[in-house]
Amino acid sequence: MSHSTVPRDGAEASTPATTPAQSGGSTGSTGSSTGSTGSPRGRGAGRASLRHRFRRDRVLILMTLPAVVLVLVFAYLPILGNVVAFQDYDPYLSDNGVVSILNSPFVGLDNFRRMFEDPAFWNAVGNTLVLFSVQLLLFFPVPVLVALLINSVVRPRVRAVAQAVLYLPHFFSWVLVVAVFQQMFGGAGMLSQLLRHHGYDGLDIMTDPDTFPFLLTAQSVWKDAGWGIIVFLAALASVPTDLYEAAAMDGAGRWRRMWHVTLPALRPVIALLLVLRVGDALTVGFEQILLQRDAVGTDAGEVLDTFVWWNGVRNQDFGYAAAAGLVKGVVSIGLVLAANKVAHLMGEQGVYKK
Amino acid sequence: MTPNAAPSPSGSPGPSRRGFLASTAVATAAVAGGMPLLAACGGADKGSREGTTSGKDAKRLLPAYVAGNVVTPDIPSKNGSSMGFTAKLDVATLKTSVPRKLGKGGKVTVMSPFWGSPPKQDNPYYTSMNALTGVDVRWRNQDGTTYDQKLGAVLASSDVPDVVVVPGWNMMGKIPSAVISKFADLGPYLSGDGVKDYPNLAAIPTDAWQRSLFGGKLMGLPMPASYVTNIVPLYRQDVFQREGYRVPTSPDEFTALCKDITNARAKRWACGDMKWTAFNIWGVFPGSDKPLWWNLVDGKLVNRVETDAYLEALEWTRKLFAAGYVHPDFKLGKSQATDPSAKFAAGEFLIYNNDISSWYGQRASQATQNPDFRIWGMDLFGPDGGDPTLWAAEPAGIFAFVNKKAPESVVRDVLAVANVTAAPYGTKEWMMTNYGVEGTHYTIKNGVPVKNDRGNNEVNNAFVMIASPASTLAHPDFPDITEGQVAWQQKMGGFTRKTSFWGLQITEPSRYANLASNFEQLEDDIARGHKKISDMQRAVSDWKRQGGDKLRDWYRKLLDENGPAAN
Repeated sequence: MSHSTVPRDGAEASTPATTPAQSGGSTGSTGSSTGSTGSPRGRGAGRASLRHRFRRDRVLILMTLPAVVLVLVFAYLPILGNVVAFQDYDPYLSDNGVVSILNSPFVGLDNFRRMFEDPAFWNAVGNTLVLFSVQLLLFFPVPVLVALLINSVVRPRVRAVAQAVLYLPHFFSWVLVVAVFQQMFGGAGMLSQLLRHHGYDGLDIMTDPDTFPFLLTAQSVWKDAGWGIIVFLAALASVPTDLYEAAAMDGAGRWRRMWHVTLPALRPVIALLLVLRVGDALTVGFEQILLQRDAVGTDAGEVLDTFVWWNGVRNQDFGYAAAAGLVKGVVSIGLVLAANKVAHLMGEQGVYKK
Repeated sequence: MTPNAAPSPSGSPGPSRRGFLASTAVATAAVAGGMPLLAACGGADKGSREGTTSGKDAKRLLPAYVAGNVVTPDIPSKNGSSMGFTAKLDVATLKTSVPRKLGKGGKVTVMSPFWGSPPKQDNPYYTSMNALTGVDVRWRNQDGTTYDQKLGAVLASSDVPDVVVVPGWNMMGKIPSAVISKFADLGPYLSGDGVKDYPNLAAIPTDAWQRSLFGGKLMGLPMPASYVTNIVPLYRQDVFQREGYRVPTSPDEFTALCKDITNARAKRWACGDMKWTAFNIWGVFPGSDKPLWWNLVDGKLVNRVETDAYLEALEWTRKLFAAGYVHPDFKLGKSQATDPSAKFAAGEFLIYNNDISSWYGQRASQATQNPDFRIWGMDLFGPDGGDPTLWAAEPAGIFAFVNKKAPESVVRDVLAVANVTAAPYGTKEWMMTNYGVEGTHYTIKNGVPVKNDRGNNEVNNAFVMIASPASTLAHPDFPDITEGQVAWQQKMGGFTRKTSFWGLQITEPSRYANLASNFEQLEDDIARGHKKISDMQRAVSDWKRQGGDKLRDWYRKLLDENGPAAN
């Protein structure tokens, strides 16, 4: 059926873009995308139908070509640079990165061996996972709740104002957000001075390693929870009102309506975002953490991204940093696949379908 | 990384092995071109990137010295101090040291660290400096506090500016090898009598030029410096006098004073992060250039991180933090640039340490809004309150390098700019470089030039980074500060000695490049209570095992071949 193939191809094209950190699999997946165009063979369609379908869809294919080229050039080609993970890479050998790569000595798996023996790396992995869990538990549900709340506001003016207020912090840079938090909750900030004026000790929330994950999550909620409700509001808007009316007729109260009508309507969106978030699990907010890493020390503040940055950009140990980045990318792909599988098992669409 | 893996090949398949000295000449000759070999094929081309250049080889490369003698200093240099000029400066009778504009009007882009908030490109200071030099200099100022984080990336890119300013303390990791492969050899322009085309550069002292020898070539334009430590513990003299605080003369007195001062409720803390001062009090070998980390102690080379003094200094710093004497902003570390000067001026804390230039800079910038503001430097003391043992900083700490790809015309233009910025005190060029334009950046009050707000903002960093004259302290608007600074340097200079590799520009083998990269972070984590002293001890033993001991042998060999620093 012609209708089913088109969105499926669209989904194909979007998967590589969401998992750019693939390594040696790069050629494999370009191959597999052509392969999968031919894969319906098994479903009965013949060889001739491939050419047939190509002719039928050539306009669509032509339309996607520029995007495919962009993805190839900016997402797939750079993947080849991951080869420096197996080198003692010295970017200063030449002005041309490719020449530098060609002339840097190969060291096999040395960078990986060193990394797995490096306590700093495992510390970063641990912090990343802790942060991800805390954020998943404390951040992820917030936009859903806020969306439900906003949705229940009847007066359009109030609703518009509330939305504007909630969206605004999304447009502040992290530097600004951290500075604002420092002014409010820092050791010399408003809260501390207020406490001191009333005879209590000051409270330095900004430099306490123990509460750091919560601090980060609080900052993320303040900055981005409002922005996150947009998707949910859109999903809520698409729920037919007659469902609510019918439920109300059957005697369902507020809560029952929410449980039986609203939440089921949100379920696919929640599942989709959850899969995406899990795939991004090892990315927990580079800029935000880098800005505050020194304030809590590396034991609490080093995550995989800052580990890569510190070793690569600061120490110019690019091979080592690339190895860490590569591992992160591979693990992330695994996580996306696993999360997607779970979504399928739960009867949701997930990011893509088999 | 296996310790004996072949280090990355240099730009040339030089025939030298790991020899330094004599072989550098050969290496230099071999640099003439050719594609780098794969290390697996050659593996013998390590010479031109590591080691040092001294003795006869150095002499051949160094520019001739021709003293300037424009104005004689009121306080001549002593104990390694800067020269001080305190007499009234008559702006009307300034001399001219660059009679003919040497610039050919070319465009030169410069990346440089900037401490503070940089002005716009088309400000009157930059445009009038460009008019004076005859070169269109375009500035790419970067935050000086986090400069190390940008330098590596910029040098690894294919878009290296025409001139890159690199402070010695940022020469960590692979930066030294990047310097050698990315920047131009200035020898053909400046070695020997070549420098005489640029009289103000010829008046730069030879020990500053010696520091510009990278990989057997003359590469950097130096900013000569007093070898006395540049880190001064600065305090609010006006508040001290008002409150009757006495300047401390021992670490214990310092801590006691901190206790007196700190009153968090009134938003007042005693001090900033005193780590650098603690290192000076305990006589820890300097932490700037890596060769200075080593010193011969009882016939054995010892690294600063191996000393007890290092740990004691850290412990003392940690205690200041733990006791709550340090302003909370300093806990954030350097990743969040918190310019301490505003809070120091507001009296939120009364003591901090910074480069000696802030002694004047703070006073000048507060002069109009805050006329009662007084800042002064306190003398350093030893751990028991006696005389301190201080170690010499390098005689040139900041370098401006020219891109290797720059054509000769650009190199000549850069040298033309340098010849202006290196003009000595008492010349029109010095006045423009350091004070800007009369009427715009400063006005004459009671016969002395006084910078206004615009002057304090625009005439800051930038041009002085491209070569400077022999280390000079001169603030015609605040001669008392000049006097205080030079007196401080001379007194501290009396306690200053030199570590074994002082004055030499040394490039370590690249396999050791990142051995010590994480110590600074660890120091800061310990001071803030996030790590323990025992973590440092573990890091030091890791460092020894992972190559520190081999590096010691490498330095030992270097020492045997060169002899200890001239003392």
